[in-house]
Amino acid sequence: MNAADIQHPQATDQLVEARDLTVRYGAKRAVDGVSFSIPKGRVVGLLGHNGAGKSTLMKALVGLAPTEGALSVLGLDPVKDRVTLLESACYIPDVATLPRWARVGELIRMMSSLHPHFSAERAAALLQRTSVSPRDKVKNLSKGMVVQAHLALIAAIDAKLMILDEPTLGLDVLSRKAFYEMLIDEWCDGERSVLISTHQVEEIESLLSDVLMLNEGKLVLSISLEDMDQRFVALSHDASVAQEMAAAHPLLKYRVGPGPNGNAALFDGPPPASVEALGRRVRPSLVDLFVALTRKPELDRTQF
Amino acid sequence: MKRLIPLMQREWLQHRNGWLMMAGIPLGLSLLLLSFGQIQIGQEAQAAGPALPALLAAGSIAGSTAVIFLIAAFSSLVIVSNLARRDHADRSVEFWLSVPVSHSESFAAPLIVHLLLVPAAALVIGMLGGYAVSFIVVSRLVGAEAWFVLPWGTIVMASFSLMLRLLAGLPLAMLWLSPLILLVVLLTAWFRRWGWVILTVGLGLGSYLLKLVFGQPWLNRISSELIKAAGRSLINGDQGGLVVDKASQGIDALQLLPAWALADFGAALQALATPLFPGALLFAAGCFFLLVQWRQRGASAAG
Repeated sequence: MNAADIQHPQATDQLVEARDLTVRYGAKRAVDGVSFSIPKGRVVGLLGHNGAGKSTLMKALVGLAPTEGALSVLGLDPVKDRVTLLESACYIPDVATLPRWARVGELIRMMSSLHPHFSAERAAALLQRTSVSPRDKVKNLSKGMVVQAHLALIAAIDAKLMILDEPTLGLDVLSRKAFYEMLIDEWCDGERSVLISTHQVEEIESLLSDVLMLNEGKLVLSISLEDMDQRFVALSHDASVAQEMAAAHPLLKYRVGPGPNGNAALFDGPPPASVEALGRRVRPSLVDLFVALTRKPELDRTQF
Repeated sequence: MKRLIPLMQREWLQHRNGWLMMAGIPLGLSLLLLSFGQIQIGQEAQAAGPALPALLAAGSIAGSTAVIFLIAAFSSLVIVSNLARRDHADRSVEFWLSVPVSHSESFAAPLIVHLLLVPAAALVIGMLGGYAVSFIVVSRLVGAEAWFVLPWGTIVMASFSLMLRLLAGLPLAMLWLSPLILLVVLLTAWFRRWGWVILTVGLGLGSYLLKLVFGQPWLNRISSELIKAAGRSLINGDQGGLVVDKASQGIDALQLLPAWALADFGAALQALATPLFPGALLFAAGCFFLLVQWRQRGASAAG
């Protein structure tokens, strides 16, 4: 199967469609038979532990990894049409590093020549919000400043899809906040979509419209945040009813606060009525759900 | 093509300081040493009599052109040999892979720059610098006034003919060498710094064993023929005429140089009519294909 096997995105309104997508490194399946789609105007979080396959999946989406199964990005086959795809989809890899020999201004000029949808004016305007000057040499910048420069370059591309693999790694909290604000307020326009992976889940939870969770290469959750709130239920409860809660087999038992009342249990679907009466409904956080769905079974046994 | 030019500009941005030093330092040193050092010429040159200043000037220009060209060609070969892995050192390969440029363009642009444009620019700079060198040499050995009354028409024609001959032969030489050059690039991509070692040992040992054990000298013959053919593409030499004729005081040789250069280039073109040439191009194309494949696979390494 390939991109041609998937209905054209203009017909389906999907920017990304993957069906039984697998990426192998030798015998290892880094991405193992995942199926998902990303429609227009969504901000999708890609979550997973280190080595879960996030970076590999993102590379596959921009044609930098050979795939099995069906994959269509902007209606294109990422491997065959990589160059065309990268004109409309921008990508920051997890080890994003700009060439050390270049000045930032030179990179802006080079991107202007290489990328048909790159705006040098926009890049310069974005750079002005940072401490990086176009005259700075990359090798003289701190890691955080290099990331700022790279983000300015990428955000200046008029793309339909932005794929960001740990984009704010090395940035301080103010710079991270400024970037995410820019991303949501200025880049996202209801038509463009963003796929973003990060370990700082709490920081981006409020920005996301959807979430994909990978575990050991497998997709364990693909859901919108609205649906997530309806599907997953967390009950905070007193320590005295912990046994009853455990007997209802929650996905996860965790603490939401100090003291004997700070316990919670997370359920996939509505909990049994008898148990629900013992606790109080609270909104499960993305982090709790992530832990519940991706921790290893052997760890489950030792934690309770 | 529209992406090749920006990629070639990238080479300028990355290597411009090295290139300026590569041309500037030898020329500057030559001018400095010739200005203040001791210059000696042999008995034969002194016997040239009135033609001596012209021959000194022509020799200075030719020497400068050759030195700068050889330095540029050598440094280009060193840069090109590490082409596949150069962006891995600072991990900027990830940045380059994220821009809409094909893998083949990513290799083609630097190959054009380093194997054609830089040596060509070196020829021009070397020749122009040679005029400055010639002034110092002629001034020191004969007198400054002699430089101003040289037969410039003949010298300029001769030096330009030589430069054009080398410029025309450069693409041919690079095509002849392309199997070896791209093989080095490929081996360096596969085996990092061991690429050169594997090529040298492989060719040397392979040639020796093939000849000794199987009585097959073809590997040694082909590799040496490629190098010889590349040299002949620049200066074929079979046409004669480069030797200074004492009887004509050397000036005749300079006057004959344009015609000689044309004939010599014709001979270099004729030398292409051998099965070895398309075979070499086919082998080089195969190496290039494998390089592109390597970049595709390298791009997908687990991250």
